[in-house]
Formats: sequence, structure tokens, C-alpha cells
Amino acid sequence: MTHSLVAANILSRPTRTLISILAVGTGVILILIIGGITTGTLNDYLNRTMSVGADFILQPSGSSVFYAFSSAALPIKLADKLRQTPGVGAVAPVLAKFSSADFGLVFGIDLATYDRFPGRLEILQGRDSLQGDEVIVDDLYAKSNKVAPGTTMEILGRKFTVSGVCRRGSVVRVFVPLATLQQMNGTEDKVTIMFIKAVPGADVESVFQNLRRTYPGLALVRTSDPSLLLADTRMPGLKEFRMTVVTVSMLISFMVILLAMYTTIFERTREIGILKSMGASKAFIVGLILRESVIISFLGIAFGVGASLIIRKLITSAFPTLQVDMTFLEVLRGSLLGLLGGTLGALYPAYKAARMDPVQALTYE
Amino acid sequence: MGEALRGSIEAADLTMIYRSGRVEVPALREINLRVGPGEFVAIMGPSGCGKSTLLHLLGGLARPTSGQVLIDGTDIARLTDAERTTVRREKVGYIFQRFNLLPNISAKANIELAKRIHGNGHTNLYKDDHILALLGIKEKIGFRPTELSGGEQQRVAIARAVINQPSILLADEPTGNLDSHNSRLVLTLLQDLNQRLGQTIVMITHDSEAASMANHVIEMRDGQILARTHHFVYEPEFEGLF
Repeated sequence: MTHSLVAANILSRPTRTLISILAVGTGVILILIIGGITTGTLNDYLNRTMSVGADFILQPSGSSVFYAFSSAALPIKLADKLRQTPGVGAVAPVLAKFSSADFGLVFGIDLATYDRFPGRLEILQGRDSLQGDEVIVDDLYAKSNKVAPGTTMEILGRKFTVSGVCRRGSVVRVFVPLATLQQMNGTEDKVTIMFIKAVPGADVESVFQNLRRTYPGLALVRTSDPSLLLADTRMPGLKEFRMTVVTVSMLISFMVILLAMYTTIFERTREIGILKSMGASKAFIVGLILRESVIISFLGIAFGVGASLIIRKLITSAFPTLQVDMTFLEVLRGSLLGLLGGTLGALYPAYKAARMDPVQALTYE
Repeated sequence: MGEALRGSIEAADLTMIYRSGRVEVPALREINLRVGPGEFVAIMGPSGCGKSTLLHLLGGLARPTSGQVLIDGTDIARLTDAERTTVRREKVGYIFQRFNLLPNISAKANIELAKRIHGNGHTNLYKDDHILALLGIKEKIGFRPTELSGGEQQRVAIARAVINQPSILLADEPTGNLDSHNSRLVLTLLQDLNQRLGQTIVMITHDSEAASMANHVIEMRDGQILARTHHFVYEPEFEGLF
């Protein structure tokens, strides 16, 4: 019978209920979409980094897997020294630059050395050439930016001509000649990272340990496992950013439910007095208020998850290069946080209702 | 606690003082009162004489400044909030002048809620249907309070108060918002319930005719009991005296 009371109370103020549902839903959307974009972007980077087929990545100490955050600090001459290290089969020096226009990375590579890796660029259209002002883009980038071999496009403020379109899945979507990018960057003899491949049949772990011993001042990261890559790599501010999103989302749910339930309690002061005169315990009254907020939170979660799925579809249609990851665990986490925010928001009003003086509540006008 | 004490109410030196800042307003002054099990007592007196305060204290809705309130021998003035809530839940049913039904749910849901609060383990001597039939609201049970007349609402409120068969019924001017026809109906019902179910009834009223239904009438003034009259006889010329 308390179910009908809870349902009746929810339905008695439809606008307020709707706003509360929307607020909880907004929190869930923020968690799922922003979380999904950051996770998606990270996973995308990791997968594409692994797709190069390198066994290790060598970076300056303290660098990030997001190469854009790293400066060009490795001398290019190091590549030759690395090639002479026992067990090392191939080395590809890369200069990475962030292009704010595309919100993506541009890799300056030497195509001849890069093509010695299993993840070599597979040209679908145009030529397998990267010299001077030539650029190779992947098919997704070509499709989204409507470019094809022969098209001239601006990258980092300089005109390039598309020489070829490669299959998507490479570490980045835009490749320019290493020498050109070095010149543009004013770092002719420096690179950001070096992809390293062990010789076929070599004990990868011993090569790794050997390189570590030889270059103790540099960061050597294994690419064999995404979790290892993630663990070995610093992601500046990502954790804090996600925590901020989660906190803001929870605060939205918390504050709106708090306000909605607080006004509800004042409106229902007399009703609470009636329940108390009937012998309703504090726990019973707290239970009523909390059940109401839990139902609103669940409706908000359902709305939030549904809306997030639609938003994800819209985002990936509008921005094909953007990856939004929304796993079952992410949805569960977002839902639980929405529920937690809503429930915590109802706690204080519920406590206040339970502590009301029954005589004052009964005479409340 | 013996069975003979079921529904007994006793107030000893009951004093209630309301404080507003430094100002003290005495509402009740050393009230002594005894209502035996199954008695029907009416309390009369002018507005502000402390009738409602006395009813709130007898039902454990408030704690007195000093003195005792014994319900079936237990001093509820000494109990914690939670313990007084339990006493109220198990032994007391309230009927109010303004009916105080929850407006968003049906009459049936209001009555079921009282059962739910009481706990599902209680077995009524009389089935719900019997009580509803007795109160003449069986056909109206699916309606919301706003869809019922004043008399019907008060009968639903009575059903809610008696559905768990409390030993004590406390009624605060139950006919105050009703016309004479419905007032008589409600009073007859209360008298009937008192006789059939043996519940102790304490009723506040301004209505001399209503008071005449009770076994005893207590007259109050200025927070004190002036007199206790046995078998108050209603005389129309007394109307308006209180």
C-alpha cells in the first residue's frame, strides 16, 4: 500500500518529477558520454599504437602515450645506435604533432623505415610515397574531410598534397614526411618517439631488459598488452578530468533531488504529521522519501542511458574519427553513480521529515 | 500488564508549558484524570483551554513538561520518541476534525496504509468488510478523499483509526466540520464502536449533543479540569455554553 502512496506522491507533482528525472538523466549522460569519449579516445590510441606492430616504444622519460603531450626530445642519431643493439630488428623514429584543426595527431615518418613494421601503411588509393609536401591519410579521414589523392590540404599551417589513402587502423590518420615536419617544428635532428621491433625469434623480454639497461634515462614501454602500455604510460590529467566529470554529474543529481525532496517535505508536512499520528516510525517515513527518490533516480537513469545511446550514435555519425566507448560496465557505473547521487540527495530531506514534531506537523497550514 | 488494563488512560499532575523565547505559556496545569477501559469520555471547554494539548499528550504525540501519562499502566511521558511511536501504533487511533486523510490516494489506500504501518501480523476480530459495512462506506472505498463528502471522509477516517482495533480512540472534534445529519451519524458510529468493540474513547467537542453520547463529560478551563460529570444530559438550552 505504501507503493501506491509513493506512486501517488511522484505523480502529484508531474513537472517537478520530470525535472528531477531530467537532472538525474543529465548526470548519467555526462558520465557516459564524456567518460565514453575519453575511454574511447584512449582505447583508440592504444589499439592503434599496438597496430604498428612494434614491440617497444622509446620515449623521453616522463612522456605520455598521448604523444602530443611530449616534446621532440630524442636525437634522431639514437635510431642508428638502437639498430646496432643486439636483438633489435627495426627502428622507426617518429615526430608527433597535435593538429588542433583536426583534433588529432600528425606523424612525421620516414616511410621506408616505417614500412618495415607489420603495421605498415596499406595504400588503398594513390601512391606509396611520402616526400616533400606529400601526405598520406587513412580512408576514414579522407572520407570525413572529403580528400583524395591529388587533393591539396592544409596541415599545421602548410599546404600538402595527398599522395595516398591508406587503410584505417594505423596509429594516426595523417602521415607527413619526417624531414618536413622536423623542419616545420624547428627540430631538424629530433624526434618524439621511436618504434622498436625485435628481430624475429628473439626473446623480446631479454631485448627489453637489455635496452632498459642500455638507456636508463629513457622511458621504454612494452606494447604487447594494452594494460601494460597503459600502466607504463603517463596520462596527464585524465584521471582528474574523469573524476571531475563524475563529481559534477553526481552533484547535479544530488542537488536537484535534494531541492525537489526538500520542497516536497515542506508541502507534505501535514501528511507527515498524519503518518506520525498513525504510529509511522522514523524508518517508515525515511523509507517513503527514499523510495520516491530511488524511483525518480531509476527513471532518470533509464532516460540517461537511452539518451546517451542516441547521443553516441549522433556523435559517431557526425565525427566518424571520434570513438565513444560505452561498455556494460560503464553503463552500470554511470547508473550506480546516478542512483547514489539521487539517494544521497534525498537523505537529508528524509531525515528532516522523520524528525518533524508530530503536533507541529499536524497543525501546519 | 493485565488484560483488565487494556485501554486505560491515566494522567497524573500533567503539566504542559509552551515556551516562546523567554515567554512561558502554560497550556495544562497539573491535570489529574482517569479513563477506564471501554469508557467513552467527552472533553468540553472553550477554545484555548488546553483540550487538544491534553489529547496530544494522552496519545503520546507530545511529551509533557511534567507529570505522568499512563497508558495501560505504562508512563509514556518517560518513553523515548520511538517507544511512544510504538505505543501510538499499537494502542491509539486518532480521529481529527479536518479528517486528515492523505489526499493523493484512495479511501481504501488510506485504510490499508494504517494496516501497513501497524504491521501485517495483526488479526482483526472484525474483518475489514465488517467495519466498512458498519461505517457505510463500502461502496465509496475506491474514491479519493476529494471525491467524498465531509461525512464520508470522516467515516473513512474513523475506519482508518479503528481498522487495527486500537484499545484507545482519541477524537479531536470529530463533528466540527460536519452538518448536523452527518454529525449525528458519526457520533452514533462512535457510540456503536465503543459498545461493540469496547474501545476507550476520549472525544473533544464543543457540541453538547455530542457530549451527551459519552459516559462522562470533563469540563476544562484555563488548562485545568473544572468538573467531571457522569451521564451528561443534553439540553438544547445548554448549546453554545462551551
